[in-house]
Amino acid sequence: MKKLLIVLFVLLLLVGCSGEKGGDEGDKVFNVGVLQLIQHDALDKATEGFKDALKDKLGDKVVFDEQNASGDSANCAVIANQFVANDVDLIFANATPALQAASTATDTIPVVATSVTSFAAALNIDNWTGMTGTNVTGTSDLAVGALEKQAAQIVELLPDAKKVAIFYCSAEPNSVAQADEIEGYLDALGLEHQRFTFSDSNDIAQVAVNACEWADVVFVPTDNAVASYASEDQFSKPVIAGEEGICKRIGIATVSLSYYQIGYKAGEMAADILINGTDPATLPVVEESEMSKMYNPSIAAKFGIEIPSDYIAVE
Amino acid sequence: MLSFSALLRALPGNIAQGMIWGIMALGLYITYKILNFSDLTVDGSFSTGAAVTVMLIIAGCPAIVAVLIAFVAGCLAGLVTGFLHTVLKIAPILSGILTQIALYSINLHILGNKANQAINVNDYSLLLTLRNTKMAILVALIFAAVLIAILYWFFGTELGSAIRATGNNSQMAKAQGINIDKMKVIALSLSNGIVALSGGLLAQYQGFADVSVGRGAIVIGLAAIIIGSVIFEGKNKKEINFSILLGSAVIGGIIYYISIGIVLWLKLPTNDMKLFTAILVAVFLSVPNLSLGKKKEDKANAGN
Repeated sequence: MKKLLIVLFVLLLLVGCSGEKGGDEGDKVFNVGVLQLIQHDALDKATEGFKDALKDKLGDKVVFDEQNASGDSANCAVIANQFVANDVDLIFANATPALQAASTATDTIPVVATSVTSFAAALNIDNWTGMTGTNVTGTSDLAVGALEKQAAQIVELLPDAKKVAIFYCSAEPNSVAQADEIEGYLDALGLEHQRFTFSDSNDIAQVAVNACEWADVVFVPTDNAVASYASEDQFSKPVIAGEEGICKRIGIATVSLSYYQIGYKAGEMAADILINGTDPATLPVVEESEMSKMYNPSIAAKFGIEIPSDYIAVE
Repeated sequence: MLSFSALLRALPGNIAQGMIWGIMALGLYITYKILNFSDLTVDGSFSTGAAVTVMLIIAGCPAIVAVLIAFVAGCLAGLVTGFLHTVLKIAPILSGILTQIALYSINLHILGNKANQAINVNDYSLLLTLRNTKMAILVALIFAAVLIAILYWFFGTELGSAIRATGNNSQMAKAQGINIDKMKVIALSLSNGIVALSGGLLAQYQGFADVSVGRGAIVIGLAAIIIGSVIFEGKNKKEINFSILLGSAVIGGIIYYISIGIVLWLKLPTNDMKLFTAILVAVFLSVPNLSLGKKKEDKANAGN
């Protein structure tokens, strides 16, 4: 009985809130579900770029249902389920778990993803041909050749530096792979290097102190844990960052692809799918993007580092 | 733009996911309610279950077997917490925290040192998936029903009764000749086994295992248990059948996820999702206490 009353109450509450409208008539307005994993500078930029691209192409013929799993990967499934129930025209999945949940939830609604390093790994695709062959496509955040440029950047900006600390979360295979790669470039430049890793974001501050005691300069790859949880004060030595978001947070400079740009590119692909009815299965995943040298004015000034004129400031 | 039918269409998915977390709450019920032991191992053992299940299915193991092995892995995690507490005499909460911390690294190793491993429904035969939510409800319901039946039977046996006695009054239980340390270890193992099993179900449902998927599991589990008990126990403190108490934990999980579904459906500012989820759950919890009988009807109407 009590249960019944509660259910009744909730239903009343819902009906009260739901000023239901009739079906939409006239020009087709596309309903796009935006599923982002976590509040995070880089991902926020990608979502912004995606929305700008669709608005440029479709004007006011597109509405966004923007949801953020707030860092709780299991919430991606709840949100994806909601989008499928709402029968959205397209799902934009921002980050790997968002893509995985969206592609699990539907094999018919087009899914355009970004901020995913490897679509093959994220979707269990063994024979990667550049296309998923399913309802999924998008843009990768794999920056080809970025590490070599970042290693060169250390020498360019900090010619006196001899010791480089490589700082990342050991739980992120993506970061480990980048650490492996950049060590080769650092060796070639004659720089001494050592890895400082943590596996839980609570340990960042402590490991950062150790790294800064040993090193002249800290290098951070595109590490999600650092991007979400590290802060400027934790680093007493200059940081060269693997991407724009980390540079904005803790770094003096980076050579980075722009998350706004990969989001914008994904938005253009989404527009192609919505307007021209292109099949996402035949749209190759975009894997390379232009990179630019960026610097963080306030942190660079703090360390008194002179920035050449071909650098642009991170926003 | 809000359409009530959209909320209804999203309901099966919310119910399915709520039931999976409800099964997790069944495990937590054993330590939290029966053993009276605040066990924080679950955040780790939930991920362990997800990781073990995904890796085994990828290796070619049938999904149902993978889930059962995940159960065993969870039992081992509970065993460690039990060992820390009963043999090394570490306080309950700290024992759980230590195991949870250790499991983070172990889970990474299980996942092949990756934070995320996909298990795509297109390529693997899974017990349940977000692709087919009605089927997922059925599968979760079968798991919940079987587990409730087994727990109902188990806590009626001599061993189960001894565990209950340990939770009610450990001094008295000891005086009766019950080995309370052994009872604690058994209950912790069983609890974490069930938690891991539900982790295995969630990984299949959402199509991936993530090393941090269990983060906050204890909060969801406790919320489910408390929501369920508020609804079913309410103000009449009469004896309620144990199987209904267990079922209420599963229903609590469902209500929790329906709450999240409602928050998403209302299209509130995305960054406030967690705040509104908390508020809505608080509303659910307080409704039965705030109003009684006729007053309730008036209030419900006035609110709209």
